[in-house]
Amino acid sequence: MKSKEQKAKNRKELIRSFRTQRQMWAISAVAILWAIIFCYIPMLGNVIAFFDYTPGQSLVDCKFVGLKYWIDFFQLPDMGRVFRNTLVISGLSMTIGFVAPIVFALLLNEIHHTLFKKVVQTISYLPYFISWVVVASILFTLLGTDGNINELLLNMGVIDKPIAFLNEKNYFWGILTTSNIWKDVGWSAIIYISAIAGVDGTLYEAGSVDGLGRFGKAWHITLPGIAPTVIMLFIMGIGGILNAGFEQQLLIGNPLTQEVYENIDTYVYRYGMQLGRYSFATSIGLMKSIFGFILVLISNKISAKVTDMRLF
Amino acid sequence: MKRKGTKIKTSLGSKIFDVFNVCFMLVFAFVMIYPFWNQLVISFNEGSDTVKGGLAFLPRAFTVENYSYIFTRTNIAKGAVISVLRAVVGTTLTIMCTGLLGYITTIQHFVGKRFVRLVFIITMYFGGGLIPTFLLYSNLGLLDTFTVYWLPALFSAYFMMLMASFIQGLPDSLAESARLDGANELTIYFRVILPLCTPVMAATAIMTAVGHWNSWFDVMIYNSGGNWDTLQVYLRKILMESEQASKLLSEQKQFEAMRNLTTSSVRAATTMVVTIPIVCIYPFFQKYFVGGITIGAVKG
Repeated sequence: MKSKEQKAKNRKELIRSFRTQRQMWAISAVAILWAIIFCYIPMLGNVIAFFDYTPGQSLVDCKFVGLKYWIDFFQLPDMGRVFRNTLVISGLSMTIGFVAPIVFALLLNEIHHTLFKKVVQTISYLPYFISWVVVASILFTLLGTDGNINELLLNMGVIDKPIAFLNEKNYFWGILTTSNIWKDVGWSAIIYISAIAGVDGTLYEAGSVDGLGRFGKAWHITLPGIAPTVIMLFIMGIGGILNAGFEQQLLIGNPLTQEVYENIDTYVYRYGMQLGRYSFATSIGLMKSIFGFILVLISNKISAKVTDMRLF
Repeated sequence: MKRKGTKIKTSLGSKIFDVFNVCFMLVFAFVMIYPFWNQLVISFNEGSDTVKGGLAFLPRAFTVENYSYIFTRTNIAKGAVISVLRAVVGTTLTIMCTGLLGYITTIQHFVGKRFVRLVFIITMYFGGGLIPTFLLYSNLGLLDTFTVYWLPALFSAYFMMLMASFIQGLPDSLAESARLDGANELTIYFRVILPLCTPVMAATAIMTAVGHWNSWFDVMIYNSGGNWDTLQVYLRKILMESEQASKLLSEQKQFEAMRNLTTSSVRAATTMVVTIPIVCIYPFFQKYFVGGITIGAVKG
């Protein structure tokens, strides 16, 4: 508790600072003005979720509808599908997509030729820097009916006529998850590789003395050594489970696969930008943000308990 | 002798594992590289030959026709100019402004530093969402302008924290002595602080520039008019065309000389034009990029 005197003193200091530190305040003012316009006004803009808003109208003239759009959304048959797709796609990247970089980091750690290791690692995160548009173009080429994959499968006799992979609902989740992993595995592995490098070297020496072999060391020393990082990243991943990707769905998906790719984000895009239902789309987006924020709070709490590491 | 013995002693299982592991890494590297190589090969191969199939590692009927087509018959050169302009302008302004903000929040005696930081940190956790942001840009008249590429990205809370944590590691006395000499804050920032910030600036600049280069969705919604289309948008348009097969084919008939073109060969050439700049600068920037993520990890 601050005393009254101190409060008055602080206020005095603050007022004085506008004069003595005016350069800093001037720079800050520009930055804060920018933040108000480009960050805080859009935050407030979310109120159109509760009004029947049409562009060009002032909010005062719009009808207040409360939670109507949320109720609408929950009554639509779309809802189940949109949630299912979001959770399935996130679930796949939280499991297979999560384990892949750990396995890669552990295997790479077992390579002893330094140059080879370095080259493989450098190659591994190249796809991370490539846009989704390029990835989509590559997929169109490789998976098209006259693409290399079909050719290979035809030659091997696995299939007898080409498959249009990108038009098939059954393959979509697999293709999406695979391309997510292809793009991100090397990049996500960086943090595990640096965690492995941080494991205390004397533990390995002690392990040798105790007769641990190579696999024993990987299992009993390396893996427990990176466990806190793994656990933290997993918990943080749960916080982002509603972010199931956006650009990749729009670029790889097409009307034939919409039933399996449409997630909350693409749904908001479709209703808001393409169909012009601003209020409805905003309310869905807002609902997602609220759920997402609660998830982040929960996962942050868990992380603080389990690993002593927290985001904020 | 003895020590050496224990080190070299490897079991059979370990040797087998090594062989498999090296093979795995080779396959892995192949899977990472081949898709790009495949596009490169197709882009240098005659389209009419590519359709025959069986094209694997080298062009069979070498040609530069695909590239000459996209540079002479489409607006891709304009797209390339806009992409470069966007990356350069956007990146320069972002690192200069965000760096200045980061610097201001590290000045020990600045009374408002906590407040300013808080204002920006809040923006990391709460966003406006797609529709309110779009409506704002529309009201501000930012749609179909070049400004929409750099102005909304002028400051970034994440980069502010990244730079602030770096600047905090610099000795206070540097800025302080310049201040005693009567230098104003902008001079201190540009003359004293910035030159010392090369590593963090490089990491930030690269992250920002790659982001600008790769960005596609914001061009699509904020610049739907097509006046400021970037390379990514051109590539996307070609993807859509090959789906609907195709404006190109009718155009092809008009230009007898281009009879060897197909949508997939043109698509591959465009893909390479979009990808090659990244691949070329990649070896130089990847070390900074890794540096950037590690700074972030330590801070986070």
